Amino acid sequence: MTPLRFAIVLACFFTGITRADEFERTIAPVLLNHCVECHSGSSPSGGLDVTSEKGFRAGGKKKDASLVLDRVHAGEMPPPKGETPRPLPKEQQAALKKWMEAGAVWPKGRVLDWFERTIETRAGRDWWSLQPLVVPSFQSQVPSPIDQLVGSRLKDKGFEPAPEADRRSLVRRLYVDLLGFPPTFEQVEAFAKDASPDAYPKLVEKLLASPHYGERWGRHWLDIVRYAETCGYERDQVKPHVWKYRDYVVKAFNEDLPYDRFVKEQLAGDELPDRTERTAIATGFIRLGTWNDEPNDPNEYKYDRIEDMVGATSSAFLGLTVKCARCHDHKFDAIRQTDYYRMAAAFWAGYIEPGPREHLGGPDPKQIGVEIFSWTDRGRKVPPIKLLKKGDPNRPGEVVEPGHLSAIPSLDKPISPPAADAKTTGRRLALANWIVDPKNPLTARVWVNRIWQFHFGQGIVRSPDNFGFTGEKPTHPELLDWLAGELMKNNWSTKHIHRLILNSRTYRQSSLHPRQDEYAKTDAGNKLWWRFDRRRIEAEALRDSMLFVAGNLKLDRIGGPSFSPEIAPEALEGLSTKSAAWKASPPEEQGRRSLYIFSKRGLLPPQLTAFDFPDTTLPCGQRDSTTVAPQALTLMNNRFAHEQSESLAKRAMKEADEAKRIVAAWRFALARDPSKTEAKAAENHLANQRTNFANAKDSEFRALASLCHVLLNTNEFLYVD
Amino acid sequence: MTRSLYPCGQTRREFVWEMGGGFAGLALTSFLAADGFFAKHVSAAESPKKPHFPAKAKSVIFLMMNGGPSQVDTFDHKPTLEKHANQSLPADKKFINSGGRKIGFLTPSFRKFRPGGQSGLMISDFFPKVREHADSLAVIRSCHTDSHAHGSALVQMNTGKTFIGRPSLGSWAVYGLGTANKDLPGYVVLMDKRGGPISGQPNWSNGFMSSDYSGTLFRPTGDPILDLRGPLSAKAQREELDLLAKLNQEHIDARPGGKELAGRIESYELAYRMQSAAPEAVDLTKEPKKLLDLYGVGKQPTDEFGRNCVIARRLVERGVRFVQLYSGGGHLEETWDAHASIEKNHGQHAGEVDQPIAALLTDLKARGLLDSTLVVWGGEFGRMPFSEGKGEPGRNHNPYGFSMWLAGGGVKGGTAYGATDELGFEAVENKVHLHDLHATILALLGLDHEKLTYFHQGRHERLTDVYGKVVREVIA
Repeated sequence: MTPLRFAIVLACFFTGITRADEFERTIAPVLLNHCVECHSGSSPSGGLDVTSEKGFRAGGKKKDASLVLDRVHAGEMPPPKGETPRPLPKEQQAALKKWMEAGAVWPKGRVLDWFERTIETRAGRDWWSLQPLVVPSFQSQVPSPIDQLVGSRLKDKGFEPAPEADRRSLVRRLYVDLLGFPPTFEQVEAFAKDASPDAYPKLVEKLLASPHYGERWGRHWLDIVRYAETCGYERDQVKPHVWKYRDYVVKAFNEDLPYDRFVKEQLAGDELPDRTERTAIATGFIRLGTWNDEPNDPNEYKYDRIEDMVGATSSAFLGLTVKCARCHDHKFDAIRQTDYYRMAAAFWAGYIEPGPREHLGGPDPKQIGVEIFSWTDRGRKVPPIKLLKKGDPNRPGEVVEPGHLSAIPSLDKPISPPAADAKTTGRRLALANWIVDPKNPLTARVWVNRIWQFHFGQGIVRSPDNFGFTGEKPTHPELLDWLAGELMKNNWSTKHIHRLILNSRTYRQSSLHPRQDEYAKTDAGNKLWWRFDRRRIEAEALRDSMLFVAGNLKLDRIGGPSFSPEIAPEALEGLSTKSAAWKASPPEEQGRRSLYIFSKRGLLPPQLTAFDFPDTTLPCGQRDSTTVAPQALTLMNNRFAHEQSESLAKRAMKEADEAKRIVAAWRFALARDPSKTEAKAAENHLANQRTNFANAKDSEFRALASLCHVLLNTNEFLYVD
Repeated sequence: MTRSLYPCGQTRREFVWEMGGGFAGLALTSFLAADGFFAKHVSAAESPKKPHFPAKAKSVIFLMMNGGPSQVDTFDHKPTLEKHANQSLPADKKFINSGGRKIGFLTPSFRKFRPGGQSGLMISDFFPKVREHADSLAVIRSCHTDSHAHGSALVQMNTGKTFIGRPSLGSWAVYGLGTANKDLPGYVVLMDKRGGPISGQPNWSNGFMSSDYSGTLFRPTGDPILDLRGPLSAKAQREELDLLAKLNQEHIDARPGGKELAGRIESYELAYRMQSAAPEAVDLTKEPKKLLDLYGVGKQPTDEFGRNCVIARRLVERGVRFVQLYSGGGHLEETWDAHASIEKNHGQHAGEVDQPIAALLTDLKARGLLDSTLVVWGGEFGRMPFSEGKGEPGRNHNPYGFSMWLAGGGVKGGTAYGATDELGFEAVENKVHLHDLHATILALLGLDHEKLTYFHQGRHERLTDVYGKVVREVIA
């Protein structure tokens, strides 16, 4: 080759690159941002397909690609939204013109894909949560990587972390966080006085080993999976034995069942090679949603149930809103409508067809053989699932083969057909295996984020059920990935993540910061984690704490069928069957933990809902924490609050004199001694109340009960620092 | 120590420890709402908000005829039915036979229709007193809904969807407009004493909104709200609240900047005020006897619904945004679910509500409140124009065509909009789906149903989902 010819080739080569670059840099974004949504697919708008060179050059129905420029210049394209015109910005128009005038060079073989990249209005497959984990490594594990990562961001911003919380705050924080009720006075004092360096980690271990840890953290999971014990709607039937699923969850936490196994059992406990009754119980997850025995259109209703199952699965395990793609490609994320049906196929194989009412939308209990509430397939071969055009059951489209989300291309492989001797399709097991595949970047991230959120009140990603475009981005991406990496490296151990978090300095920070006013101006949401956020305890923790300090909490009653709390007849008036629908359990049941309260969809106990117990029809990854007057009414006036105050007073009454009784009340309720001014105020209170209760024969006791009632209403009782 | 402390409203200044005065719930809300994190800690439902566009209606009274009243016997006059009496419904009219009941024969109205007012709107003798207000009503005769079953249809009438779990219309109204009286809940539901609607709580649920948007059940007698009163005397309770204020003060002093703690202290003040405001709102002893008589209070069968109607007016007067009244509760004949006999069932239920509803319209008008109060009447669906068997006087459920009416706040009175076919079986002309009705109700409140969104799990949710068209023709 002569030098000259070489130079020409080289020039062309560079020009090619330059032009391809130019296309990617200036033209592809315009087309992807403004054109591809309509001008693509099997019936592109105006017959013009702008995703490929061939399509673009064909020029649509009028067979003239140059018309594109005219329509764009005229401001007709992109089309107005409603009455608002959306002309292309001038510089983009100019770029398009320049490109077209230069011959509209299209890089060879380049096909634009609506989902390939993130644009202004939506996410593509390059969205952060779909990328492989990038696990940072650390030269030293001291301070803990959590503190290193949080600390370096704080330092960058010129922030300092809050000082470590005092011992008494810390022990209370740990108890409520891990067990859901406060420590006793003695437990607080023992910890406060234990100066040994391993006092704190030892306490963490002790609480993680408590059977009450599973009761507390299992409840978090029940929110995520829309747990309730009835079907909802007119008859609101009880789902028999569904409480066994609740006990399964509690046990899974207590035994630190590896999270990947936890996922697999819930989705495919019946398909596992080593299946047991316990893993079959886990499949109850699939049918925890509502079930209407009288749907308007039974055929259409099948698809509504599938949507519930796809919705619960994808939000719980993947932090994605796959159900948004039932009717069309996802508006904001790289989820195709076919992806929805690929996932739906896993549930389609189950008892989704209308069956006898008494089966409550699941398999025949006789077929299961044991008394559990579970799910399985109709057989190894089932009719194919068809995509529904616009989600309309009356407009079935193409058959969709079972498969996985296309958003993670490395794992986008077909599901193999079931073995000849299989009883089920194996689709749910394939789905579960895909979810927990170490290369699936979502699962571990979503789970460690939830763990972080339940410890801190907010997640690293502050939209725990939505890692997509409309969700929040992580405050500390490296931290999220490091924790996710740790989870997988340690056999998906949830308790391992607890230990990492709880032993970090970030967790042990005080909820007060000397410079909080200043910091709150730039980071009021505490996205840098510069202090621990004070939080109101949840509905169940509040009820359990009241029972606990009153000496009425029956902690030894772990598991078993739920109990019905006493509900005021007034609160039953909203039921069509009125009080016939609710019969309180016997008194000896009433002291059980709130986890065991019978969860009836038509009537959730008002005492819990007042404190933001969530709606049970949809997965709830994060509860609200409102402060409203009805909460104050509940605590001021509800019979339960007064009963617990009286029990508490009975405990304090055992002391010989008033001063000691006051101290006892404080120790039981708040696990500390009263200050001098508090004790004085209490004395005054008792004196005044004795006068107010002068007509009662037990005015002494009633005055003390009133003091206890006040203590149960204090902010100190309701909040954890 | 007898000096009273906050939160009982006497020495309020002691509470204002850091805000430089003027600390009120409103300021708190907007202050905290500036950041997403704190916004969840306070009651957003308590601050009044501006509508999207000016509108007359500021509150809604929804008269819910639980069970499904028959349109051809009440507000949808179908003389053709007389001609076709005892014939079968033409075979080309398809329907789901709810509950698999007997399919009988076309049956004309059980009561005579007569024109009312200047407009001459045709209304049957089940509602002679409401008929006197014909010129205030906009009857939509072409309503249709998606479910033939009470459980789903009630939920859809209240939330827009047939499945449970979504916020109800009242929640959306309070979300959009806030409440004008912080001492009372913004969204109140008054039940029928025979029971609540089928599906229960999901009918007045806040769904995925925070719990402060939930409907509050009000009982018409005794203490209207759950836990409004405890076992303590007012004096003893006051003593407790004083001590509580003191202890909370000491607690917050050690935790400067504890806004969520301050918010909770404030909530006790609100609760304390609610304890007197709520009973006052349902206390009818100060209402003149003549007025109570007008509503039919104190005599049967109108006493209970009459009472509820007076209470509804009092609540609206006091700034409550959305009041829903149930007529009929429980099951079957205790509701408007007239499977057995239209004459007997509707005779009973219309007899209970006709006079109270008419009185409510009269009373609201007399007080100048009708202009700012939207009154909505209707059930979860209608009923079939045919009977449940030869000579059987009942009718089965019909979601394909039924009537509802609007009155007051911005409504064009004396209007009939849309039409069912000649038999009153299905809506055929200017059809109005429930989504359209909901869009219209929001529009009358000054809210654009496409703009009133609540962000939940990645989606800007709307009452009307992706549907809904405002029926401009019924707006004045």
